Amino acid sequence: MFPWVYGFAWTTGNVIFLGIFFFIVAIIGTTLVVSIFRTVRAYKLHDIEAFRWEVDFHDLPPQLRTCRHEFTGEFKQRSCDNGFDCRSCATQNKLIRHHSVNTDAIELPIHAYGFTIPTDRLYHRGHTWVQGDSFGIYTIGLDDFATRLIGTFDGFVFPEIGSQVQMNGNAWIVKKGGMDLRILSPLDGEVVATNDGSDGWYLKIRPTTAKVDTKHLLREHEVAVWFQREFERLQHRLSDSKIGYTLADGGIPVQDFVKAYPERNWDAILGDVFLEA
Amino acid sequence: MDRQFIQRGVTRISMKKFLVWIMPWIVILMIGVYAAFLCLYQGLNQTNMDNRFAFGLWIYLDLTVIALGAGAFFTGFLLYILKRKELKAVINSAVVIGFICYSGAVGVLMVDVGQPIRSWFTFWHPNINSMLTEVTFCFTCYLIVLAIEYVPVILKNRKIKQFSSMLVFEHELHKLIVVFAGVGTFLSFFHQGSLGGLYGVLVGRPFAFRPALGIWPTTFFLFILSAAAVGPSFILLTTWIVSKISGKQLVKQEIMQSLGKISGNLLIFYVLLKTVDTIVWINSTSPSLGFSAATFYRQEEFGTWIMFTEIVLCGLVPALILLNNKLRSRTGWLITASVMACSGIVLNRFVMTIQTLALPTLPFDQFLSYTPSWQEVATFLAVIAYGVLVYSFSYRYLTLFPQERELQSM
Repeated sequence: MFPWVYGFAWTTGNVIFLGIFFFIVAIIGTTLVVSIFRTVRAYKLHDIEAFRWEVDFHDLPPQLRTCRHEFTGEFKQRSCDNGFDCRSCATQNKLIRHHSVNTDAIELPIHAYGFTIPTDRLYHRGHTWVQGDSFGIYTIGLDDFATRLIGTFDGFVFPEIGSQVQMNGNAWIVKKGGMDLRILSPLDGEVVATNDGSDGWYLKIRPTTAKVDTKHLLREHEVAVWFQREFERLQHRLSDSKIGYTLADGGIPVQDFVKAYPERNWDAILGDVFLEA
Repeated sequence: MDRQFIQRGVTRISMKKFLVWIMPWIVILMIGVYAAFLCLYQGLNQTNMDNRFAFGLWIYLDLTVIALGAGAFFTGFLLYILKRKELKAVINSAVVIGFICYSGAVGVLMVDVGQPIRSWFTFWHPNINSMLTEVTFCFTCYLIVLAIEYVPVILKNRKIKQFSSMLVFEHELHKLIVVFAGVGTFLSFFHQGSLGGLYGVLVGRPFAFRPALGIWPTTFFLFILSAAAVGPSFILLTTWIVSKISGKQLVKQEIMQSLGKISGNLLIFYVLLKTVDTIVWINSTSPSLGFSAATFYRQEEFGTWIMFTEIVLCGLVPALILLNNKLRSRTGWLITASVMACSGIVLNRFVMTIQTLALPTLPFDQFLSYTPSWQEVATFLAVIAYGVLVYSFSYRYLTLFPQERELQSM
């Protein structure tokens, strides 16, 4: 194998064969070392929460990555490839410029499909809402869909007061039936208060930047359609697979879906709703 | 109890049922390990091979699993190099199958060579004039490549990826996977070819000997092409089997059809070249070595039926089925054609290994028959059991089919 090993000869065949072999070994070794080096560098420099979201988002099924412009009727079918971050979406402005928003067909409901959708706040695709006040503090809560879905909680894990939360990063953990549900933060900011939801909110944050960009959050006319789709998907997941699709007969959603359908695969359903891969 | 380790959004059988499923395979594996121990401890007298019949069940197994495992390199090549994005749905499964096939083959070779403790000799003192040296080098390198490709699949486990460092490493490694796919293709190309070349250079065995194209005999190219052709069929087949056993749809139907079409296209090309090669062998190569090709088919066990079965029944017929859009769209035909294609390659490796050695080539030679000993059979079955176990654990805890979650929620 090497010139100093017994039996080695400087023949053309030997040189070509071993040359190719060592070249291949060098490629494999170098690639592996480069990936380890890049891991260490990324680990030091990268924002791990953003990294985790990027990976999670990439692994989500396509139907969970629907672009918000589908909700407005601008597109029949379009998937988001930008982690639901419309702020850095290159095509966002172009889309708005070229496709007028079809708001005529959509009323601005307070109640839709049995869910309450307050119009004084903005909504994140991970089923949180956010509402700013005159002091620059933003309150974060779970929307009605998520609240009814989870029902009663077993516990919470909140970030410490003064710690930072990042958009699409972990805001707090909800414990329910042995599951840990990661709730995504709709904004970047410093945690100033936490609450168990008894007053309708869970977290208050002071945004990292003075001017808060909320372009990535859904407005009420989008939320109604989004809720409809989420509810239809939920109904399908809860329906008896032997029966298949059934015609809805009215009524309002129950207060605790998990409790009402204990035998369903909630790990999967809640993973879809809270965008966890 | 292991819910936290199972991919979100998919369902798996209970731990109790899983243990019941794996237990028989563990027993088979244990018996095989004992048989392998006997072979290593007491020597190769535990087998029914001898100096005359030096290649037996184990080499046949090696050649077969290496051919069937070609789906890993070829799917990787199509996905990462040729950008056939739809194959992302099966690439993880293909990598696991490739890893099982190659690691199983290397394990059996260790027993077959009989001196695993001296396995480094082949690297330290390589005989570059031997096809087997090329095979050994490529095998080893490719097994390392497959192990590296397996790592991101493991690191994507739901529990493991909670560790940030693991998540980042998986992501960074995956970004460079195209390099490993390229290297894997290069290595596979040569070792699949060299395995075929191994028989093609046997000038003392006119049944296997083939003329050279450049520096390689035609079997070099036929082995590469046949492995590439059957690889996607085997991926298709294993996906269907896992789907049937688990009772779940794992990939979209169009992916299965796409694999079938790829397999069909390559298979028809292979059948064409194999036919030309056989005609040249019958009319030129074999007579030039003093043998009429017909003499090789006088043995009752290995009549012309075997050639017909290999080339027509398990080559041309499945290729035509897989190339027909209407037939390919029907699962029954698709799976039948895949089974036939895989069987054709399994038969081809049998012919090249066992039939080649069994046929007499000298006037005083007898037709040799060989029946493997129980130790050989047990070791053979242990590789199958090892494969089933590794795949079962991988399917349970890893994301082998990324579309499964989406399909289950529909």
